[in-house]
Amino acid sequence: QDVTLRMHQFLPDQANVPKLVLYPWADRIEAASNGRIKIERYGSMQLGGSPPELMDQAIDGVADIVWTVVGYTPGRYPTTEVLELPFMMTDARAMSSAYWQMFEKYMKDGEFKDVKILGTWVHGPGMLHSKDPVTKPGDMEGLKIRGGSRLVNELLKELGATPVGLPVPGIPEALSKGVIDGTTIPWEVTGSLKVPELVKNHTEFEGAALYTLGFVLAMNKDRYDSLDPELQKIIDDNSGLEFSILAGGTQADSDGPSRQAAVDAGNNIITVSGDDVQAWKDASQPIYDGWIADMETKGIDGQALIDEARALMDAYGQ
Amino acid sequence: MHRLIRMLARATALIGGAVLLALITMTTLSIIGRSINKFFHADFFDAQLTGLSQFVLGLGVGEINGNYELLEAGVAFAIFAFLPICQFYGAHASVDVFTAAFPKRLNNWIIAFWEVVLAAVILLVIWRLYGGLERYLRNGETTLFLQFPVWWAYAASFSAGVIACIVAVYCAGARIVEAARGVVILPSEHGEH
Amino acid sequence: MSNLELGFWSFPVLLVMIFLRAPIGLAMLLCGFGGWYLAMGGNPTPLLAKLKSETYTTFSSYSLTIIPLFLLMGQFATLSGMSQALFRAAESFLGHRRGGVAMAAVGACAGFGAICGSSLATAATMSKVALPELKRYGYSGGFSTATLAAGGTLGILIPPSVILVIYAILTEQNIAKLFLAAFIPGILAALGYVLTISIYVRLYPDAAGTRAPVPMAERFAALGKTWPVMAIFVLVVGGIYLGWFTPTEAAAIGAAATGLVALVSRSLGWSVLKQSLIGTARTTAMIFFIVLGAGFYNGFLALSGVPQFMADWVVGQGLSPWLVLVIILVFYLIFGCLMDSLSMILLTVPIFFPVISAMDFGMSAEHVAIWFGILVLIVVEVGLITPPVGMNLFIINSMDRDTPMKETYKTVMFFVASDIVRVALLVAFPAITLFLLR
Ligand code: NA
Ligand code: NA
Repeated sequence: QDVTLRMHQFLPDQANVPKLVLYPWADRIEAASNGRIKIERYGSMQLGGSPPELMDQAIDGVADIVWTVVGYTPGRYPTTEVLELPFMMTDARAMSSAYWQMFEKYMKDGEFKDVKILGTWVHGPGMLHSKDPVTKPGDMEGLKIRGGSRLVNELLKELGATPVGLPVPGIPEALSKGVIDGTTIPWEVTGSLKVPELVKNHTEFEGAALYTLGFVLAMNKDRYDSLDPELQKIIDDNSGLEFSILAGGTQADSDGPSRQAAVDAGNNIITVSGDDVQAWKDASQPIYDGWIADMETKGIDGQALIDEARALMDAYGQ
Repeated sequence: MHRLIRMLARATALIGGAVLLALITMTTLSIIGRSINKFFHADFFDAQLTGLSQFVLGLGVGEINGNYELLEAGVAFAIFAFLPICQFYGAHASVDVFTAAFPKRLNNWIIAFWEVVLAAVILLVIWRLYGGLERYLRNGETTLFLQFPVWWAYAASFSAGVIACIVAVYCAGARIVEAARGVVILPSEHGEH
Repeated sequence: MSNLELGFWSFPVLLVMIFLRAPIGLAMLLCGFGGWYLAMGGNPTPLLAKLKSETYTTFSSYSLTIIPLFLLMGQFATLSGMSQALFRAAESFLGHRRGGVAMAAVGACAGFGAICGSSLATAATMSKVALPELKRYGYSGGFSTATLAAGGTLGILIPPSVILVIYAILTEQNIAKLFLAAFIPGILAALGYVLTISIYVRLYPDAAGTRAPVPMAERFAALGKTWPVMAIFVLVVGGIYLGWFTPTEAAAIGAAATGLVALVSRSLGWSVLKQSLIGTARTTAMIFFIVLGAGFYNGFLALSGVPQFMADWVVGQGLSPWLVLVIILVFYLIFGCLMDSLSMILLTVPIFFPVISAMDFGMSAEHVAIWFGILVLIVVEVGLITPPVGMNLFIINSMDRDTPMKETYKTVMFFVASDIVRVALLVAFPAITLFLLR
């Protein structure tokens, strides 16, 4: 059995995630199968549709494999939001590991029952890049900030800032034209967006990150089931917990060079630490309360999920 | 029948147009709000006229948040609502140089043929749109900002789509009658852009 | 059949359908459906699933929402008496020269193009105002209609421009930069047409009459009345460039402002409003139906691997990038004789753009993309005035039944020549297009 699988995602081929995570994964599978599996790669939504449709494309078999941001389809995968809560993620590898374990326990036969999930991971610490320095929650008052996720937008509102919805490629223009005063985004993508040239202040947080985003690599279920057992095994061997940790780690590791570029440019890198972090955490408490209440209406014990995610992260690497 | 369909197509287009006008008003107000907000946040007002600027900002003057989501949903509805009138006036773009050499009768049949295919495709598209409506009704997906259920927008577009189906089927029938009897029922106006 | 073969076979099938008078959007949609169906090994499920959301997401795409807004803005502009004011002003400055009324019509078209994103609307609106005047001063029929047909293309060449919006989306380029880059070539187009007119009246002195000059004070009074046009242009195009608002927001503000001017000038009553909404509706639906068809067809083409194959093949030939560019532009000129500009862009840019991107012109990728966009814009717009199928020619001929189509065809070739000279200039000197981006 020789098969060709179509992989569809929204970033251009030369971006970090396709270049460092997805395409090497595809290469590994092609090599392990001695060419019996061929993976065609379609970046930049070449096969049509918009990024929020990717998950449905995998469910319906429009594409065989998709990579997508879970938050693009708000409301459909509520459990995954636990890892996107503000000041939740301390390390991308640890969180990716926790994500996979919780996926297997809670989501595999639940929210994600329509697709075959091959990997679950998060990006490195999401942080703030702004024109004016931001150190304490009060500095956010009145700023227009591009938020990275639904929960980040909630947090921005809570802090008195105005969340602005923008696709990632729109950030440089919005910054240079003053449409926004800053943006949330991990270091990794700041380089290609020229963020360090457009703003001079970057706010990092010691310990847990301001936010992160959850990703999944998903495959059409029927397509997977139709594969020979040996081919299924090749895919399984390259997917799951280890791959998730590797993917999250690779993405987080790409933060370093971009951060160094901002340092070299002489930008002001603010690290919020100690008691100052507590002020931010206190400010984000309403987001936790709201989320737990929201989960309750869906019959999910939010607090238990939070505790479990924290415990799994702590257990990582020990 | 003909007048009824014409009225239906026009009325639907006008409803779509009214939505478009409302969206234009909303966007304009949002930009004005944003500009005023920016103006009163400027250093001068913050420092010198704190009371006034606090008052203006306190009124909630500012950008209408998430207005782009309404714009997207509204424009989608408007376009579905514009389909019937485009159909009715035969305004779809086509190339008629090559068929110009054919006899008139044959040309009429060609037009009728494509009108029937077009009606079938519109029925297919709207039927699948209903599939999308069902899917979002089931999976509870919301928009990112305003967090309204996506199926609301689909339902609005679908209702306009149903009218497009009715008009498309009528036009297909009318074009067949035109070809068979050599009469003129529907206008044929090339669209412009 | 492999997907690649399937992709190549889709071209002749599509062309046969189009030449057999299928609505262009429908033809692309059918090829897209057929292609997806066959490429999925005859399984209809993925295609039917794709249809669940893709129509809605196409119609609700934020960057495309700009199109109905610009169209409505153009509808309001045609009603607001601005075309009248523009022509009066241009005419008072130029009318006494030889061929001056025709030059004035071109100038007014350029002004109108600055607030209207559509060629046909510009041609039709200016014809209403300028045709009677041209006739009055003894301009020959063919000269008058050809001038207005050519002038109409300024509606799209000078920003804002619906075609550039589509190109920007297809190639993921910045709309504001494309608008800015279109500016100098647009002005060159207007100057080129003026030059063409002055050559033409020297060759055919009988084709135009003359009239006495207007006093300076009157000229400036007439110019003063064009302020709403200038204000709206500055607001919309300036606003986009300076980043006061996104292009879509600018289109909304422009539509609101133009509507307001129409309202104040008392030309926007209830029935006129209905008429402009219906006009917007028809054109919007037509455009989006083509966009929908192109989306499905282009998705299938990507799946078949045709664009990648073509790009690799062309690069493998080792041809000079400039030769490839010229071949592509000539292709557009030939096809432009038969097809409308929007369909051509949607159909060909996904195939040609990867080819051009793969070649080295000694410029940054972004500059090549913008430069190529402006060149394509111009060559497809030439198609609007090349016989036999030129939409601008048709629309003006329908407004001037006394002039035989043959007369228009003959004279318009002078303007086509001017367009070709301009394209050659812009190909040879990319800096002209990219100047404002530095
Ligand atoms: Na224009
Ligand atoms: Na032509």
